[in-house]
Amino acid sequence: MSIVELKDINFIYGKKTPYEIKALDDINLAIEENCITGIIGHTGSGKSTLIQLLNGLAKPSSGVVYIDGKNIWEKPKEIKKVRFLVGMVMQYPEYQLFADTVKEDIAFGPKNMGLDEKEIEERIKKSIEFCGLNKDILEKSPFDLSGGQKRRVALAGVMAMNPKILVLDEPAAGLDPKGRREILGGIKEYQRQSGTSVIIVSHSMEDMAMYCDRAIVMRHGKIVTHGTCADVFSQHKLLLDVGLDVPEITGIILELRAMGTEIPENIYTVDGAVEAIKHLYLSKERGV
Amino acid sequence: MEASFGVYYEKDTVIHRLDPRTKLLFMIAFIVCIFVASDIYAYIMLIGITVASILFSRVPILMVLKGLKPIFIIVIFTTILNLFWTDGTTVLATWNVIPDFWTITIYKESLIRAGILALRIIILMACTSLYFSYTTTPIELTDGIETGLGFLKKIKIPIHEFAMMMTIALRFIPTLVDETTKIMNAQKARGADFSSGGLIKRAKALIPIIIPLFVSAFRRADELATAMECRCYHGGKGRTRMRALKMKARDYIFLLLTGAMIAGVILLNIYATGYKV
Repeated sequence: MSIVELKDINFIYGKKTPYEIKALDDINLAIEENCITGIIGHTGSGKSTLIQLLNGLAKPSSGVVYIDGKNIWEKPKEIKKVRFLVGMVMQYPEYQLFADTVKEDIAFGPKNMGLDEKEIEERIKKSIEFCGLNKDILEKSPFDLSGGQKRRVALAGVMAMNPKILVLDEPAAGLDPKGRREILGGIKEYQRQSGTSVIIVSHSMEDMAMYCDRAIVMRHGKIVTHGTCADVFSQHKLLLDVGLDVPEITGIILELRAMGTEIPENIYTVDGAVEAIKHLYLSKERGV
Repeated sequence: MEASFGVYYEKDTVIHRLDPRTKLLFMIAFIVCIFVASDIYAYIMLIGITVASILFSRVPILMVLKGLKPIFIIVIFTTILNLFWTDGTTVLATWNVIPDFWTITIYKESLIRAGILALRIIILMACTSLYFSYTTTPIELTDGIETGLGFLKKIKIPIHEFAMMMTIALRFIPTLVDETTKIMNAQKARGADFSSGGLIKRAKALIPIIIPLFVSAFRRADELATAMECRCYHGGKGRTRMRALKMKARDYIFLLLTGAMIAGVILLNIYATGYKV
């Protein structure tokens, strides 16, 4: 079942001014429940605008956004409820921390939801665990933490709201490879355990291949292709045409194929490549 | 941002090309003229100068008028104050609000004084915004201030530093506006509510925006300072400019006209037979 449905969405910035820009152009899209969906595209392809539609931070110029089967703009006064249903972690979320202690900052969202102290306490405990944070961090000031820790705190603040859909805009931007792995791995783990539908916006094809189940490719405010990761990444030519890369390892595999190696072309992760090469090597040995 | 007051309007006209120092001198003279003028004909001349400037600069009049929106309340407020609470000799109307206790009297003189005051504010704002923001980029303006007031350095006033501070402040306005929108969106996504509740509740709701904004402003300031130091910035001493300001013939002509304006106002004040304010 699809949890998000977009119907004939158009979004225009600066309508009726000389600076009119069409950010989203006639988008029709369904996003599946209980999996991780990646949105890929260049800067200015409309990714960020698209995700802002999902929790009502932006209102489409025309078209309807359905979350969980409901039109979110049916009652504009109740848009706050949608924000609790769709948790959103913006780009560089560490810059939105404000409270005296980490605990208070994480509690900000749940408090706005009107939960009681005990429930909040419980949720804070769970969310910091997913984000790989230690308990004794809770009483510290968020401004004393390192960059990576701050980002996890911000992430925990949204996770603690227990949203049905969790949207993340470039959650790993600017982190080192270890930090990337930890944060994206944590998100994947969270998705598996909680059954939340997760949407990740990213530039990195490698991350997409590693952590996403489905992918959406965007360009100039339109959706170029979407489907399971395997479906999307198998269209190498299309991806290269829209100016995106296939994952690096897929590039190597394609080169090998071009050189005449008999290796399957649908390989998107390093682990997959290792397996395939091992297999190829063993079958050759057996052949000899 | 809605206010169109303070937006550069790109066009290539005489007024756009004037040296910012010329504009500064003109504006000082113009402001003095507005407050010195005491004859109705002098005011007509000043209105004429404002309208002519707008026409010459080819900035749409509508745009200038829209830019005046923010001062509209001030204009109304001062007009009302002057209309009801100043004295005169010729009574136009009286109104017993509370008999024997509070009477409002409107005098002819108050009416005219209120009108003139409103007019002063309007042409003052129209002209300032036209010369300083519609036709001059902020960079040109600070350049003009720095070069024009350069003589103050001799008496140890750090004019370069002031100009640099102004340039940086102007440069970071759009950045901070951007940042504010982002932070607001992030907190809204966490269920923050900025538009309901009483005054205190709303003020409290701003804390999650103001703190991150301050933190990031300080961080930016720190980064900028480091970047400037890395490029060996050490104040204005010995610094040359890429685009040195130079007075052209048009600037001298314009200054002559400015002189004529001052002379005109003084002569009209003394000799004209229009209504005296």
